[in-house]
Amino acid sequence: MVVEVLVAVSIITVSILAAMAVAQRSVHVSRQAFHSAQSAFLLEEGAEVLRVMRDNSWANISSLDSGTDYYLNFSGNTWTLSETSSMVGIFTRTINISSVNRDSNQDISSSGTDDPQAKLVTVIVSWPEGGATVNKTLQFYIFDIFS
Amino acid sequence: MKKISYKNKKNHGYTLLELLFYISFFSMLSLVTINAMVIMTKSLREASIQAEFLQSGSVMERISREIRQAYEIDATSTETDLKLKTKDSAGTDKTIEFKFVSPNIQLWEAGSNSGNLNPPNISVTGLNFTQISTTNGEAVKVVLSVRSNNDSAAREQYFYNTIGLRGSY
Repeated sequence: MVVEVLVAVSIITVSILAAMAVAQRSVHVSRQAFHSAQSAFLLEEGAEVLRVMRDNSWANISSLDSGTDYYLNFSGNTWTLSETSSMVGIFTRTINISSVNRDSNQDISSSGTDDPQAKLVTVIVSWPEGGATVNKTLQFYIFDIFS
Repeated sequence: MKKISYKNKKNHGYTLLELLFYISFFSMLSLVTINAMVIMTKSLREASIQAEFLQSGSVMERISREIRQAYEIDATSTETDLKLKTKDSAGTDKTIEFKFVSPNIQLWEAGSNSGNLNPPNISVTGLNFTQISTTNGEAVKVVLSVRSNNDSAAREQYFYNTIGLRGSY
């Protein structure tokens, strides 16, 4: 009799513990979903800021070094890039610039001659999530369309 | 059958030690179970709060889309009230206005209130528009902070975005 009760109680306990684990996991997943929604806006902002800088002057873009991590900084009613690391809440947003090459058909390719009126921009937003770091990347080309 | 088992059994009932063991075993199990129940309830509430936060991202989505489609920012705009000049699907001019009336964001279309943008369980704690003018166009920096009405800790969550007015080029 006691053995049956023991078995029954253990089964119930194990299932409740399993349900608890599922509930905790669901919190983790929904938090992750929310963070990734926030990061989507940060990525979009990163891309827009580069366009704002391009709209002011192409020199703002062409003067950036490739391979350097840039961070966004808002001051004096406009956006600037700085090499000093900065964070937005739990998120770190870095911007990388690389040059664009064109082949003999004027198509963008990995080798060829450098196009000074185009740059490849990579925006990376990273944040810690349950002991690991999550990265979201947005890559786009920006062109000197105003000169 | 009953007789045999009666004969084979040497003890009747439980000893004090056995009783103690079972009582402590069951109290431990019930502790674990009750604890698990409490954690589950908390987790489910937290998950629903996070879902509300996620939903409030649609407010930022809407603001971003309207700014992107607009061609000019009305001069009467303030830091918490953005009035955009835009065009409807037929190409005629109209205005879209986002007004922060704590704890809600009101959407005004062509001068009339179309209701709140934020979901009912979400309180907007802050909305800030910063206008950026560039040599070739205009952009708006938006900061939105929200709080869930179901959250006893009253945590604030932030959304940031900057959008250029495509119509201003």
